[in-house]
Amino acid sequence: MKEKVNIDWGVVLKYGAILFIITVICTLLLAVTNKVTAPVIAQQNEEKNKQAQQEVLPEAKEFESIDDLEQIKSKVKEDSDIIQSIDEAKDGDKVIGYTVKTTPNGYGGEIELLTGINTEGEITGISVLEQGETAGLGARSTESEFQAQYKGLSAKEPVVVEKNGEVSGNEIAAISGATITSNAITKGVNTSSEAVDAIEEDK
Amino acid sequence: MENGTKLWVSSSPHIRSDLTTQKIMLNVLIALVPAFLVSVYVFGISALLITIICVATCVLTEYVFEYLRKKPITISDLSACVTGVLIAFNLPVKAPWWLCIIGSVFAIAIVKQLFGGIGHNFLNPALAGRAFLLASWPTRMTGINYIPVDVTTEATPLGIVKEGLDIALPSNMQMFLGFPGVYGAIGEISALALLIGGIYLIARGIISWRIPTFYLATVLVMALFFGEDPIFQLCAGGLMLGAFFMATDYVSSPTTPVGQIIFAVGCGLLTMIIRKFGGYPEGVSYSILLMNCAAPLIQKYTMPKVYGISSQKEEVAE
Amino acid sequence: MNFKYLTNGIIKENPTFRLLLGMCPTMAVTTAALNGLGMGLSTMFVLIGSNVTISALRKVIPDSIRIPAFIVVIASFVTIVGMVLKAYIPVLDQALGLYIPLIVVNCIILGRAEAFAFDHSVGNSLMDGIGMGLGFTLSLTVLGSIREIFGVGSLFGIQLFGDAYEPVTLMILPPGGFIVLGLGIGIINWITVKLEKRKEEKSKAVSTEEVNA
Repeated sequence: MKEKVNIDWGVVLKYGAILFIITVICTLLLAVTNKVTAPVIAQQNEEKNKQAQQEVLPEAKEFESIDDLEQIKSKVKEDSDIIQSIDEAKDGDKVIGYTVKTTPNGYGGEIELLTGINTEGEITGISVLEQGETAGLGARSTESEFQAQYKGLSAKEPVVVEKNGEVSGNEIAAISGATITSNAITKGVNTSSEAVDAIEEDK
Repeated sequence: MENGTKLWVSSSPHIRSDLTTQKIMLNVLIALVPAFLVSVYVFGISALLITIICVATCVLTEYVFEYLRKKPITISDLSACVTGVLIAFNLPVKAPWWLCIIGSVFAIAIVKQLFGGIGHNFLNPALAGRAFLLASWPTRMTGINYIPVDVTTEATPLGIVKEGLDIALPSNMQMFLGFPGVYGAIGEISALALLIGGIYLIARGIISWRIPTFYLATVLVMALFFGEDPIFQLCAGGLMLGAFFMATDYVSSPTTPVGQIIFAVGCGLLTMIIRKFGGYPEGVSYSILLMNCAAPLIQKYTMPKVYGISSQKEEVAE
Repeated sequence: MNFKYLTNGIIKENPTFRLLLGMCPTMAVTTAALNGLGMGLSTMFVLIGSNVTISALRKVIPDSIRIPAFIVVIASFVTIVGMVLKAYIPVLDQALGLYIPLIVVNCIILGRAEAFAFDHSVGNSLMDGIGMGLGFTLSLTVLGSIREIFGVGSLFGIQLFGDAYEPVTLMILPPGGFIVLGLGIGIINWITVKLEKRKEEKSKAVSTEEVNA
């Protein structure tokens, strides 16, 4: 036989009220902290992005995001979903290049990558903004020695990852023991090149 | 009772064998000699040096560990020597001296001694040592390190297959003999030499025939199933070495007949799956280590029923 | 305020090596000394905050709803720590990543709230929070240092060895973490057993002296 459950509404209301008060106080504390820290965090993100953009395209004076991101993405054949944003890099009124932010999948999740390409179809540099790769292996993608390999390569054809050391033409040497990371970053770069191609075609 | 013959009564065991651990290990060392000879022939003095360093380090580590822990010194049972030789046989010809030492210390001190010494290691010490070295110094333990300096080949046979390189593979006869032109870890290249040693051990009753037979048979069947050349797959990489000398380690494999078959088939399946689909060109080490972990479970479920004991249910029903 | 509670958490009841609490962040975060230190201090801040708050409210929180109350308090402190780190020490936030919000489920915090703060005075709870926090920070920093020295060749980011040193990469991978932790527990156990044996022999010697006197 099912027993009738007697609910003591007095207790329920009292306990509910206590929990409510505790939660309200906590929420107030959190709201205050948020008000203080949120602008600081937002500003830091902006600065980090700007700094990275300046690094990959040193000659640019200012950056402006493009209007038709979705349209450009639809023109990119493969992996267009990893493109997050594209900015025009300008010196005065002249557009001298583009910075493309992509998020290819690495070994330990998404890698946030910024690629700089100038209007002559040359890769001017890359910057790894965020990554969760293995320390000592894939995490070495943040080292300048690895990133410098992309500088000066052509954005008009795909960059190829070479595993066995000797590179020529549009190739870069993979980080030993971190082929997946190297491939992911190269994919990000190649997709960026294709996007820039699509933009330049329209002009 | 007259002063005739006195009869002694003692408790079990009543049948004794004169097979000691030392004798077993000595036989294993003898069985490894052919592979050692091929190794020195193909890889030269480096092979000899690597083997000496590994054996010396293993024996020394075991001695020091047992001395410090105030346990009886067991180095004369030669098990450390065998581990040393097996570690050496898993290393590339270009392995630096410190790599040999660290791998050997790890295998003996941590994998074997910390868990209770001989008879208590839950993993094969030599293979665990190799896995440790591979994870710690991947650039020293892969690819080109297995090729001697003055040779023009660029990759091991399995490496060529995995990377899809445009290099000619050695012929099956070359793979079987181990030369010329076959490269890999210093002890694993000659299927013939290892086969001779393995059959010797089975004939002497040192290792179970089931594990190598079913391991190799499973690989053969899987190779045909995947459309690969079965002879190539059997002779390539560390399979022969693993099937006869590593998977058969008494302590880390099941003792029951059915258990051994399951263990061996598991090793075979995993080896081929890793070779075919995995990120590594060779799957023998990891497959044996994984099956080592599963061995206690396999052992538990394949224990034969003891005569005279019925299950609880039947007793209650009566 | 009893200072015994402060020293307790550092060696005798060290959360990492003796109580085996908070293993998940321990394994994940001790890939570098600085990360270990940062995580330890963040956790200590949350621990002190939650211990003190829960102890202060222990007469007010009814027993049957204490767990949800604990969680709300702990989660709030953790969120605050997360926001502060993101804003003012982004380098640490980047390194610790996902493991900062995971401080909420770090067993040490809920464990001490339940086992200690709910039944002890605010002063003692503060001591316990500091002690456990220091113990945790100490263990994480030590573990992180060992793994960083062997696995990367640096300490707090400062390169210790020259280029010739090829680091033991395994140390900064999960197996290395488990091996170092295991060896650490073994060593601490060995020390504790030795200390206890010495204490036993001392008290035995004292009692025989008293008998003989």
